[in-house]
Amino acid sequence: MLTLFTPIFAFLLQQVDSGRFGVMWQSARSPDLSKFLVIGALLFIIGVAGVLTRRNIIVIFMSIELILNAANLNFIAFSRYLQDTGNMNAIAGQVFAVFVIVVAAAEAAIGLGIVIALYRNKETIWVDEIDLLKW
Amino acid sequence: MTLQGWEAVFFWIFSIAAIFAGLLTVMARNAVHSALFLISSLLSVAALFILLGAEFIAGVQILVYVGGVMVLFLFVIMLVNVGAEEQGLSEIINKPRQVVASLVFCLLLVVGLLFAINTGYQGLQKRDETMLDGATEQRRAQHQKLAAGATGTSRITGDTQQVGNSLYRFASLPFEIASVLLLVAIIGSVMLARTLKQEAAVDDVDPEVLSAKVTQDAAQEKDRPETLRDLT
Repeated sequence: MLTLFTPIFAFLLQQVDSGRFGVMWQSARSPDLSKFLVIGALLFIIGVAGVLTRRNIIVIFMSIELILNAANLNFIAFSRYLQDTGNMNAIAGQVFAVFVIVVAAAEAAIGLGIVIALYRNKETIWVDEIDLLKW
Repeated sequence: MTLQGWEAVFFWIFSIAAIFAGLLTVMARNAVHSALFLISSLLSVAALFILLGAEFIAGVQILVYVGGVMVLFLFVIMLVNVGAEEQGLSEIINKPRQVVASLVFCLLLVVGLLFAINTGYQGLQKRDETMLDGATEQRRAQHQKLAAGATGTSRITGDTQQVGNSLYRFASLPFEIASVLLLVAIIGSVMLARTLKQEAAVDDVDPEVLSAKVTQDAAQEKDRPETLRDLT
């Protein structure tokens, strides 16, 4: 049964490997730096969209975490790329990622403290109802 | 730098999982669901870090983000009242005009970023053409030389050692500054989350403000929902 289908698969794969679709297939089979950058950019955009459109202040904070995580992905991807090109300072990208995580943790603690204080005083978590500084 | 074989398969699985979980984080109606989707997105990105050979960052990501920050988020979600959102009584997004404007902006950002990545990466590849030749095979050969782990399925890499070396040798001042930043964050969040009663206990509230607040609170206490009373 398998021997019957093998030529068909071979033919299909041959068809796949040639042409424009084949180029895409080849690049998808061996993802390189640009794929990681695209994934990081998409995560970043999703986070920006969340910050701009949501009303819930806690979800806005989560979107900010998503943005920081996308930045981390870029740092690590470039670190690996520089390692492979033989750069001596390649590991610096990972050190930067550690600091980004530290800043994200501090930001989340302070931000959630503000949310708690705000909720005690205003009893709302909708950002469009928090307009104390508006004249 | 390319991933080959099973690494490529896992790259696609985890990157698609990260993007979908990120989308669901932004679109979920219930804030608890948002937090859980964000956890799965962070875990997928940690898996991508492992594929990139950054095991230490992946571990820190899981410990600090998933174990620390997201638990904090879940606690805060439990503390504030999100009942109206769960029941579908109120809008979860801004006014339509704002949403349209921000989505147009995001679309422009997508196009700009993808264009920048495309052209920039082509230039980068052209610059590093000679150095990237055989880099994948070289890396694999180096990986084969490492000592095998106890189960024999993986190798013990020097990633954590390298990060520690770099952190304490070349980034010791930023490291100390980061520790001060965390200390300030601890003190700041404790200060911010205090109630008026706790502030009065250490006596740094103007007595007039306090007495005015107490009478105001007593007047408000009657029409506050039951669940809020034990918060303050």
